[in-house]
Amino acid sequence: MWIGHGEAKMFKKVLIANRGEIAVRIMRTCREMGIETVAVYSEVDARALHVLEADEAVALGESAPSGSYLHIEKIIDAAKKSGAEAVHPGYGFLAENPRFAEACEDSGLTFIGPPGRVIRDLGNKTMARRIMTSAGVPVIPGMMEPTQDPERLGHEAKIMGYPVLVKAVAGGGGKGMRVVFEDQAMREACLSAMSEAEKAFGDGSLYLEKHLESPRHVEFQILADGHGSVVHLFERECSIQRRHQKIIEETPSPVMTTSLREAMGRAAVSAARAAGYVNAGTVEFLLDRSGRFYFLEVNTRLQVEHPVTEMTTGLDLVREQLHIAAGDRLRFGQEDLFQRGHAIECRVYAEDPEQSFYPSPGKVLLHYEPAGPGIRNDCGIYEGFRVPVEYDPIIGKVIAYGETREASRRRMIRALETYAILGIRTTIPYLIDILSSPEFAAGDLCTDFIERHFQGWRQSTQEADMAKIAYIIQDLTAPAKAGTRQEAHGWPTPWETLGDWRL
Amino acid sequence: MKYRLKVGEETSEMEVLSTENPHRLRVTMGDRGVEVSFQRVSENCLWMVADGKATRVFLAQADEGTHVFLAGRCYLVQDADRLHLRGQRQGVHEETPREVTPPMPSVVVRILVSEGDLVKKGQGLLVVTAMKMETTLGAPYDGRVKKIHAAVHQKVAPGDVLVEIEEEVPGND
Repeated sequence: MWIGHGEAKMFKKVLIANRGEIAVRIMRTCREMGIETVAVYSEVDARALHVLEADEAVALGESAPSGSYLHIEKIIDAAKKSGAEAVHPGYGFLAENPRFAEACEDSGLTFIGPPGRVIRDLGNKTMARRIMTSAGVPVIPGMMEPTQDPERLGHEAKIMGYPVLVKAVAGGGGKGMRVVFEDQAMREACLSAMSEAEKAFGDGSLYLEKHLESPRHVEFQILADGHGSVVHLFERECSIQRRHQKIIEETPSPVMTTSLREAMGRAAVSAARAAGYVNAGTVEFLLDRSGRFYFLEVNTRLQVEHPVTEMTTGLDLVREQLHIAAGDRLRFGQEDLFQRGHAIECRVYAEDPEQSFYPSPGKVLLHYEPAGPGIRNDCGIYEGFRVPVEYDPIIGKVIAYGETREASRRRMIRALETYAILGIRTTIPYLIDILSSPEFAAGDLCTDFIERHFQGWRQSTQEADMAKIAYIIQDLTAPAKAGTRQEAHGWPTPWETLGDWRL
Repeated sequence: MKYRLKVGEETSEMEVLSTENPHRLRVTMGDRGVEVSFQRVSENCLWMVADGKATRVFLAQADEGTHVFLAGRCYLVQDADRLHLRGQRQGVHEETPREVTPPMPSVVVRILVSEGDLVKKGQGLLVVTAMKMETTLGAPYDGRVKKIHAAVHQKVAPGDVLVEIEEEVPGND
C-alpha cells in the first residue's frame, strides 16, 4: 500500500557538503521538491558545476580536502550562516564520518543519513563483523579485531593461509586494501595500505579477511525510517572492479534467483535492524560460485551506483532520504516494491587508460554528452572546467536502462560511443571494450574480472588512421588559429585556391 | 602536401591531394589510398565519409597536440615535424620513457630505495600520489641508484627525473 508523503515538515534549505556529480544530483532533487540548496566549495572549485547549480554557495577556502570538504567546523559554520536546516553529505569526504554527523546534530542541523553512533559502529569494519555475526548474518572468515602491527598481521595471515585480503578497519572504496598472495609481500603491502588508510580515513588500523576465489560483489539497497520500518530495494551487482573500485554496476544481478534474492534481502534487512539503521544504506555481500553469500560491509551513505536502483524501481533515493530525515514514515512496505527492466551504470574517471590509469586532471576542451531513450548522465564537469588534481578522479556516471540486460548493455555501448570528452583522458574506451566482451555479455562476472580478461589492455588503434585524416582536415580547414600549418609555414596552400571552406 | 603524424608510438607519413570537389580529398598512407569527403559542422566538429562510412569527429587543439574523438575513442594526434621543435623548447619530454619521472603532477609519499642500491628492472623506487591514488614508479632497467632527486612531500611534475640509475653493463668476468 502506497501512502503519500508529507506528515513531517520538509526542510526549506539544505546544505550539500560535497562537490562534483553527486552534489549536482542531490541539488536536482532538492530543487524539484522546492528545497533551496547551499553549495560549499574550495578555492579550486570556485567555478565547479555544483557551485553553478546551487541557490547559494559558500567558500570554504583551501583546495586541500582537509581545509575544505573535510573541514567539519567550516561546513557547520556555512550551514548555520546560510540558514540551512539539514546537511546532505553525498558520498566520500565526510559522508561516513560519525563526528560530522554528531557535529551536525549538536548544532541543531539534521544530518541526512544515519545517526553518528550507527556510522561509527558500521564504519569500524571489525565491529560491523561482530554485529552481523550476532544477528546471524554470515561473514567472511577473518580477524575480528584490528591492529597496526605488520608482524601481527603477517602472523595471522600465516595461520589463515594465503591469499589474504588486507583491509583498513575504517576503509571504503578500496582505499587501504591489498590482496596478498605470499609472505614476502606482506610487509610492504601492510605499510602501503596503512599509509593510504591513514591518509584517506585518518586511521591506519588494518585487519585481515580470507581472500575468496573469484566471488561476485552483490549488494542490497536498504531504506529504513525512524519509526522501525526497513525495506530493501533489491540488489546491485558491482563485480566489475579495478583496484578494488567498482567501475560498472548493474541491477538485477545476472545470477540472481527469486530464492537467493529473498535470502539475501532478508539478511540485508536483518543487518540494518541489528545496527539500528536509519535512512538509505547499502549492505554489501560477496557471493561465491556455489551461491553462498557473506557479509562484507555496510555503506552508511548514498552509493555512487544508486541510480541503477532508481531506474528499475522508479524511486528517487535522494527524495526518500530527505523524507526519512524529516521524520516521515516509509510510504511502502516490502510487498509494494518491484523492479522492472535492467539498468547498468558506468563510472567515468579522469584517468588515462593507456598510461596505467594514471589520473588525468586538466581542462575539459570539449564535452558532448550522450542522450537518447533510457540514458541518464550524472555528470560533474562541463566544457571549459578544469578538473582539479586535488580530488577523486570520478567525473560522472552514465546510466543505461533497457527492458532486458542485453538491451541495456547495447544501449550503454551506443551511449558511450557518442560521449566525447576532450582535453582530459577518460576511461570511456576501456568501458566500451569491457561491455563489448563476450564474458560481460554472458554475465559471467567476478571481482577479478579485469585481472582475468583485461590485464594489459590497450586501446584499439583501428581508427587511428581516420583520426589522422581528421587532423589533416582540421589543420587545413579550421578557422585559422596559431599553430596550424597554414600559418606556421606562411605558404599559400592548394586549398586556398579551392574557395570557401566554411559552410 | 605531406604530413608525418604520430598517434601513440606510431608515426606515419601521409600525403594529401586535393580533388575537384573542395569537400573531398585523397590521402595516401604507404600503399593505401583513401578518398574522404567531409563537411565542417562547427569549429570543433567534422563530419567525414570514408569507404562509404560516415563518422562524426570532434577535435580539440591543446599544447601537446590535437585530441581527436571518433567512435567512442580519443586519439592524441601529434605533428611529428612540429613535435621536434616542441621537444627542444620544453625539454626532452618525448624521449624520456627510460627515466624515472611521474606521468602527472603529483606528490612524493615514500622513497623505497637508497643511493647505491642495486635495483632490478620494474622494482619499485618511490611512490607518488595524485587525485588520492598512489602510484609506484619502477626502475626502467637493471642498475645502481646513482642519485635521488626527491624528498617525501615534495611536489613533482612530468619531466622531473626523480631517481637517476646507472645502467649495469654485464661484466666480462
